[in-house]
Amino acid sequence: MNDETKKQINEKYEREVSKGEKFWPDTIYRDLVMSLGIFLLLILLATFIGIPAEPKADPSDTSYVPRPEWYFLFLFKFLALYGQIPVLGKIEWIATALIPGVAVGILALIPFIEKNSHRYYGKRILSISIMTIMVVGIVLLTMVSEVPTVAEDGSKLIGILQTIMGIAIPLAAYILLFLMSFVFKSSTRTMIWTTVISALAMIAFTGATLALAPESTHEEAEVATTLVDQILAGQDLYSVHCAECHGDDGSVAVIQGVEGLEGEKITPINSRDVLYTITDSAMGEVIAYGRPNAGMPPFGKTYGGELTKGEMDYITIFMRYMWDDRFEAPVIPELFPPLADGEVPSYDVHLQPIVKRYCISCHRAGKENNNYLMTSYDEILKTGDNAANNIIPGDANSYLLQVIQRHEITDANGEVIIGVMPPSNALKPNIMDVFTRWIMNGMPQTAEEAAKISPPPAATPAP
Amino acid sequence: MWNNIYNWLDERVGFNDLYANLLDRPEPKTSWWNTLGSASMFLFVLQGLTGIFLTVYYTPSPDHAYDSVQYIMEGVAFGWLIRGIHHWGATLMVLVVFIHMLRVFFTASFKYPRELTWLIGIGLLLTTLGMGFTGYLLPWNQKAFWATTVGTQIAGTVPFIGEFTLKALRGGPDLSALTLQRFFSAHIWMIPGILAALIGVHLFLIMKHGESHWPKKDD
Ligand code: HEC
Ligand code: HEC
Ligand code: HEM
Repeated sequence: MNDETKKQINEKYEREVSKGEKFWPDTIYRDLVMSLGIFLLLILLATFIGIPAEPKADPSDTSYVPRPEWYFLFLFKFLALYGQIPVLGKIEWIATALIPGVAVGILALIPFIEKNSHRYYGKRILSISIMTIMVVGIVLLTMVSEVPTVAEDGSKLIGILQTIMGIAIPLAAYILLFLMSFVFKSSTRTMIWTTVISALAMIAFTGATLALAPESTHEEAEVATTLVDQILAGQDLYSVHCAECHGDDGSVAVIQGVEGLEGEKITPINSRDVLYTITDSAMGEVIAYGRPNAGMPPFGKTYGGELTKGEMDYITIFMRYMWDDRFEAPVIPELFPPLADGEVPSYDVHLQPIVKRYCISCHRAGKENNNYLMTSYDEILKTGDNAANNIIPGDANSYLLQVIQRHEITDANGEVIIGVMPPSNALKPNIMDVFTRWIMNGMPQTAEEAAKISPPPAATPAP
Repeated sequence: MWNNIYNWLDERVGFNDLYANLLDRPEPKTSWWNTLGSASMFLFVLQGLTGIFLTVYYTPSPDHAYDSVQYIMEGVAFGWLIRGIHHWGATLMVLVVFIHMLRVFFTASFKYPRELTWLIGIGLLLTTLGMGFTGYLLPWNQKAFWATTVGTQIAGTVPFIGEFTLKALRGGPDLSALTLQRFFSAHIWMIPGILAALIGVHLFLIMKHGESHWPKKDD
């Protein structure tokens, strides 16, 4: 740029300034309105959307699918797509270092690449086109960032669509635009159309990708934040994973009804012997490694179990606050709301929490339980070797009601069809009562259904 | 009395000069698009203020980081609000800085005499992203841990210096207490320091050249 052009630019600027405004109050007024708007928006976001809770970091849980901050998602997607390209895709650093490095380099050097003094958009259509396609690409890549590149049935179509959108079309458009600009000397109008059509094509391929995308299976992990929630979470996990051997209150001294450990003598884990000698971190290790020699399987994910670090922490917290007399338990809400006289319990409100705590540890897939699964309403009603007789609406002799009272069931010939069910200590009477009322009244699922058949609350007697 | 105080201060500070130099400057006609730069700066200041509050309770160690953040959300009065603003402010800052850059690009405001302003701007964009990257690890939750594991892994694939960068970022072969300590230090001292200095230069250059005018057909 020669001095003449510089002088022209400066003179033009002086003219614009003389026709312009004052920094104070004109410009700054708009700045302040904008900042205030942003501040209000932030308060709204913080109040109404907040920050989703996440479980604590667990270095052993390598199954966790990493997700970066959203503004890096497009880069992640780009890396995944690049990996699809044959041959070149194997050279990782081209995509991780070279391409982003060159992109940032070009971005930084724009003033020295686009050296002419033109500022009007019609005179710099090439750079505007390139940037537009780049920005559209970034936005679209972010949109498809959750979509996998290989479908569940192994089909690669979805990955190919994305690669066309994210790599092929932009590349082709760039080549075309350069040719148009330097070789064919096309008009501004043709170049604008080329850009618009490329962008629309990219959007179309994104639409197709999203339409084909499998339902997102991403589930939010439940996170217990308060102490009470943590204790309850621990209790539920304990009931599912530990109760079959240690009993729902940790008092079992002789294991019953567990294959391979029948009659095994163990130290009750609610005793001081255990609680006072094992520290929190050692407890975490006992749960994670198990006691392979004595028969307790490992539970930590690192050792092939199902529990994450956070979940094992909850179990430890539960054991401490419920059994360790050095800890004072906070007030724990009841497992289910107590029933009024004649009130009919429902699955959703009463049975589900009871079953989760007292039955699911054995009555789920992969355990010895006469094929009786209890993880959902339907399963409870329909599974089991004796499904036909387990739950008979209105029948007090339903097998289930007998089984939970530790009766053996025999058939007409006196053969045992259901043995005495393992949990060695009987259920509390109020829980037994819930099961009985539920079956006697036809097993309502929702609270509304139960309310319909419950008698109206007794009118308060007149004083 | 107020008059006396004002005069005394004015003699020593020179409010009139300040007014003339800082506020009473003529500018070309500007539009709402020109508010994005100062909005970025506002967000930076806001992030600084809320961030300082957060450090009062936050503990950068793998054993306590998660619980201290939990405590900010549950136990500290208005902790949820402060953290919420900081969290969403980070998102918005990246967005606003990026759109500010696009506006500067599309109006070709980076051309003579503002090339250096643009270069400093690129530094600002990168440091802003750096703030996002380092801040993301601090809550020490699953998302943070694994995103950082993969993020640093990517840095490790760079030829020749990758190995070294990876170890320098993590403070060892794996993510550990050292990594958290490093990211914390970078997030609250090093990067904001660089960012503040760059903003200073950026603003100086903008005051020196004035804001560019909206390009017309003859530009
Ligand atoms: C398959 C049966 C089984 C399951 C399920 C089981 N344990 Fe155990 N557990 C055992 C046996 C057997 C021992 C050894 C007892 C002994 O040596 O006194 C044991 C020991 C323990 C001990 C005492 C260790 C010691 O050194 O005294 C603790 C604490 C314990 N288990 C906790 C748990 C927790 C928590 C769970 C649930 C995550 C669990 N267990 C699940 C069978 C089991
Ligand atoms: C410690 C493990 C364990 C727990 C806990 C447990 N069960 Fe069972 N359950 C079994 C086993 C084992 C059988 C098979 C008994 C047999 O035939 O020997 C069984 C059988 C049954 C059957 C008969 C199923 C059929 O079709 O033959 C019913 C009904 C049943 N359980 C209900 C319950 C209920 C309700 C609870 C919760 C209150 C519960 N169980 C808790 C282990 C358990
Ligand atoms: C933390 C980040 C940033 C802050 C706080 C900031 C601040 C500002 C402010 C206050 C202005 C004047 C008002 C305006 O035109 O909007 C401005 C202008 C400018 N910024 Fe930034 N900016 C940032 C990032 C960037 C980036 C990423 C770029 C480009 C790479 C950039 C390049 C420019 C240029 C060239 C101008 C002059 C524009 C003109 O005169 O019209 N800035 N910036």
